[in-house]
Amino acid sequence: MSAAESMNSYERLELAWNLKEADRVPVAPVNCYILPWLGGINIRDMFLEPEKLIQATVKAREMLGGGDNVDPNITTLNHLGMFGRAGWDQATLDWRIWDDFPPKGNLPSLYEKQMITDYDDVLKRGFAPILYSKDVSNQLFKRSIDEFLYYEYEYPKIYADAWRRYVEKYEVPLLMGGRACHPLDMLQYYRGISTLTRDVFERPSKVMEISEWWIEYESTLAMRDAMIMGAGEVPGSEIIFFINGGPPGMSPRIFDNIFWPIAKKMIDIFVKRGFKVHCHWDNDLTPHLDTMSHMADGLPKGKIMLDLEKTDMKKAKEKLGDRVAIFGNVPSSLLVYGTPNEVDKYCKKLIDDCAPGGGYVLSTECETPWDSKPENVKAICDAAKKYGQYRR
Amino acid sequence: MGKVADAMAALDKDGLLAEVKAEIDAHRDPIEIVEDARKGLEHVGSEFEKGKVFLMELMWASQIFKDAMELVGPEIKKKHGSSQAKGRILMGTVKGDIHDLGKSIVRDLLTAAGYEVVDLGVDVPPEAFVERIRSFQPQVLGLSALLTAAVSQASVTVEDLKKAGLRDKLRVIMGGGVVGEIKVSEFGVDFATNNANEGIRVIEKWIAEAKGG
Repeated sequence: MSAAESMNSYERLELAWNLKEADRVPVAPVNCYILPWLGGINIRDMFLEPEKLIQATVKAREMLGGGDNVDPNITTLNHLGMFGRAGWDQATLDWRIWDDFPPKGNLPSLYEKQMITDYDDVLKRGFAPILYSKDVSNQLFKRSIDEFLYYEYEYPKIYADAWRRYVEKYEVPLLMGGRACHPLDMLQYYRGISTLTRDVFERPSKVMEISEWWIEYESTLAMRDAMIMGAGEVPGSEIIFFINGGPPGMSPRIFDNIFWPIAKKMIDIFVKRGFKVHCHWDNDLTPHLDTMSHMADGLPKGKIMLDLEKTDMKKAKEKLGDRVAIFGNVPSSLLVYGTPNEVDKYCKKLIDDCAPGGGYVLSTECETPWDSKPENVKAICDAAKKYGQYRR
Repeated sequence: MGKVADAMAALDKDGLLAEVKAEIDAHRDPIEIVEDARKGLEHVGSEFEKGKVFLMELMWASQIFKDAMELVGPEIKKKHGSSQAKGRILMGTVKGDIHDLGKSIVRDLLTAAGYEVVDLGVDVPPEAFVERIRSFQPQVLGLSALLTAAVSQASVTVEDLKKAGLRDKLRVIMGGGVVGEIKVSEFGVDFATNNANEGIRVIEKWIAEAKGG
C-alpha cells in the first residue's frame, strides 16, 4: 500500500462490489496473455509451469503499473469448459503453436467445429462420449493414463498452491477462483455459431432444454475450481468468473427468452451457494440493459460485478449502478494502437461517467491484448490514481 | 416488395419457402423470384445497419435465403442454364487469427447477392492469398481480422501483394471487430469496417465501378 493510499486492494475492491466509495477508484486491467508475453515465457510454460507463470506475472505487473487484482488465468486454463483440463488435448486447439506468440505462433484458440451433433444424445449420455471420441480428441490418446490423471486431479492443486503463495506474498487478490460459461457460449464453440443460430430460430425449446441441463454441470465445475483455488481463504477465489455474455448480436427476443433465464439461474446458484459472480459479458449489450437490471433481484447486495466489453458504460451505470458494480472498458484497439495520452483521456471519461457514488472498477474491455503497449496499460492504472480519488 | 420479399424481410422461413414453392408452381421466372428474395434480404441488411435488426437475425436471414435458393437454383438451371456471377471476391481471415464468424456472414451475404466468392478460411498466410489471386483474379480481396495482432498481419499481406505486383489489380477491404476503431491508412487497405452490411455496399460499389457501371 503506498503512503497516499489508505486501503489495500482487497478492501478497495470490496467497497466497489458493495457499491460504495473507497479511497479511490479500483483499477484492474484483465491481464491474461500479456503476462507471459512480457514476463518472457511461452504459452506452453504458462499452461504447464505455474511457478514460471507466477514469476512472469510479477515481472509483467511491474511493467504494467500493477492493478488491484491479478488474473490467475483460470479462464485460459479451462477455456474448454466441459472437458476440463483434459480438454487441452482437444482437437479444436491447435497445439502446433504454443511455443511462441504471433506471428510465429498463435494463442490457443477454438476452431469452430461441430462437436455436438445430437442434443438428445448429450442429454442422455453426457459429454463423455464426445470427450473420449478419437475423432474429437485424438491427442488425448497420446498421453499416458498417469499423465492424464496428473493434469486432471493433481495439477489443479499445484496450480492453486502457487497462486495462494502469490496472494500472501504480494497482497493482491485474485480476479477469480473459478470460471463458468453460459451454455449458449458453450454451444457457440461446440455446435458452431451458424448451426446454433439455426437451432435458436428453428428449435428454441431444444436449446433451452440442453441449456437447463447444462446449468448444474457448468456451475459445479466452476465452484469446484473456486474451492480448489481457496474460496473463503484466498482473497478473490470466492469469485466465479461468468463468461461471455452469449453469442454476438442477440435480438431482445433471443436475449430475453433464451439467454437471460439461464444466466439469471446461474447467477442465483452461485450467490446462494456463497460465491460472488463476476459477469464478464462481451459484445454490446446496451439494448438489453433493462432486462439486465434484474440481475440482482432476490439476492443480497455486493455479490455481482458486471464487466462489460462494448456496452455503453454510462447507460449501464444509469440503469444498473444502484444494484450491481460496473467494470470496464478501455478498448483493446486503444491499448495496441493508441498512446498513453489517449488512454488517459478515455479513462477520465469512464471515471467521470461511472465512478460517482462508488461501485465502479476501471478496467479493459474483455482482456488486455497481449500486444498492448505496456505504457498504455500503465496509463490505465495511473488514471485511476489521478482522476479516481474519492473526496471524503 | 412481393410476397417472397415480404416473407424474407420478416425472417419467416416457413412463409418464405411456401411462397417460393408457390411461385415456382405458378411458373414465375425463377430469376424474378431470386430478385424478389434479394430485395427482402437487402431490407434486412438495411435494417441491420439502422440497428433495428440484430446480428443473429442477419445470419438467420442469409441462412433462409440459402434455403430458398436450394429450391430456386435447379429451376434457374432448367430455364436459363448457369447464371453469370456479378463479380469475383476472394476472402480469408489473416494469418494468426482463426475467427470465422464475421467473414462467413459477409461471404454468405455476398454469395446471396450474386457474387462468386472464394473463401480461403482462417489463419491464411499471405502467400496463400497471393497464389489464389493469381489463379482466381478477383476484383476485391476481403481480409478478416478480429484480433488486434491480426490487424497488423493484414498489412503484411498487403505488402506481399505489392511485392507480387498484384496490389494495383484489385481493391482490398478489411473487416473485423476492432477494425472500425483504428486508422486504416496505416494498414495499406482501401477500406475497413466492423459492419458487414457497410462492407458489402462498398464491395458492390467497387465492382460496379470496375465494370464502368
